[in-house]
Amino acid sequence: MIREGSIRLPFAYAAGKSGSTYLRALQEEQRILGSRCSACDRILAPARSFCPTCGDAELQTVEIGPGGVLLAWTERPDKGILGLVKLDSADTAIVHRILGSSDVLSTGMRVQARFGDASDENPEDSLLGFAPEVADS
Amino acid sequence: MTSASTPVAIAGWGQTGPLAEDLRSIPEMVLDAVQATLRNAAMGYEDIDAVVTASVDVFDGMTASNIAVTEVVGAVMKPETRIAADGLCAAIHAACQIRAGAYDTVLVVAHAKPSMSDFYELTKWALDPIFLQSLGIDFLTFAGLQAAAMAAEDKDAVERWAGLAACRLADASGDGKSPGSTEILQSALVTTPLREKMCAPLADGACACVLRRGDDSSPGRKEIRLSGLGHDLAANFIGDRELTESAGLERAAARAYADAGIKQPEDEIDVAEPSVAFAHEEELFVQSAGISDNTIISPHGGLFAGNVPIVAGLSRLTAAAEYLRRNNDLRAVAHGSWGPAGQGQAMVVLENAIP
Repeated sequence: MIREGSIRLPFAYAAGKSGSTYLRALQEEQRILGSRCSACDRILAPARSFCPTCGDAELQTVEIGPGGVLLAWTERPDKGILGLVKLDSADTAIVHRILGSSDVLSTGMRVQARFGDASDENPEDSLLGFAPEVADS
Repeated sequence: MTSASTPVAIAGWGQTGPLAEDLRSIPEMVLDAVQATLRNAAMGYEDIDAVVTASVDVFDGMTASNIAVTEVVGAVMKPETRIAADGLCAAIHAACQIRAGAYDTVLVVAHAKPSMSDFYELTKWALDPIFLQSLGIDFLTFAGLQAAAMAAEDKDAVERWAGLAACRLADASGDGKSPGSTEILQSALVTTPLREKMCAPLADGACACVLRRGDDSSPGRKEIRLSGLGHDLAANFIGDRELTESAGLERAAARAYADAGIKQPEDEIDVAEPSVAFAHEEELFVQSAGISDNTIISPHGGLFAGNVPIVAGLSRLTAAAEYLRRNNDLRAVAHGSWGPAGQGQAMVVLENAIP
């Protein structure tokens, strides 16, 4: 015999100092933030509370993007396209939605962040995703 | 790493599954694996000093997923440790307990039953709640991203992976039959560039083994020893990693090889049992673990016979031990991998030893 069950419990995840700063900048200023680790001489994306390599917690918040390079992407029939994007100025990449059709995507192409309105409950939705950069005519 | 001066042997092993859907309860499934293991080792519960289990709460739909199997693994009134990672890590933990002199005989048990729920949906809960969960990303997406990164500058990669999947499916079938590369490339799209038949099928199962202090007092008695142990965790943020390589496995393998005194892995390993859940991961394994054509890889198809998460690495250890028991080859390696795009990596070297 099988007993059917489910778990539905709300959670309140603390974004922490760096996560909150990141989400606020997305929602209020449509800016993407990273963190500079002076000890490792690299800029981490997205913003962090500490450097995962050296453990330094004295990181400097810096703006990265909004343009970048598409390093890899994968398309799922039911979930759209997710990609790995290395934003301008950053040394590490972030994972996010890739907007538009996969027909025009290629590894190494330039992409640009697309922003929209988001509720206070879901500030992360301010970053809609990344779309192929349109060349200036 | 603890001192390698105390040899650790694998005394027996057993498993249930892999089955696409095992209708037994988890304790029943685990009990069968434990009893098969104790029979194989010619031991009883009374011979076991301590137990190390591997399970993940969210996959079992309950907290403290080890508590549900405490009795069937014989851990009541005994020291039990639970590892929420691949079962090979549990074996490494148990081997370290023996090396440290804490216990002489340790039972290692891993279980998972992905048929209970939507396994990949559950893996979302392993990801960062602030930056990733709202995107609906799971471990399957990460496998796709890794495969895409590898294929980006290698136009033959996907066809090669289809060929690899065909080999492993044929080895796993028992009769040598498998879909050809063309059929594999035409199977349902899972996440580009991965197709359904390039992915080892998820399955339910449990696996166990008994590790014991090696016996140096009986010269000439053959035993299979765990002579090299290594594991490693790569960066949590996937964008911090170079996805076209597995630095975590390189480090885990280097630790295991140094522990076992292996200097030339390309010449010194007879058989390898890697945890390959997606065909492209076999190439990462070969490259990162320094394996050459001199080594037989997954002689019975590896996880393509059924991929039981958490059990996978421990089942590779017992498959490697079985191979060494049946053959006169000297050395094998077992590999475990867990987390998004193989964040966690473990490697164990096994040797046919005659003290």
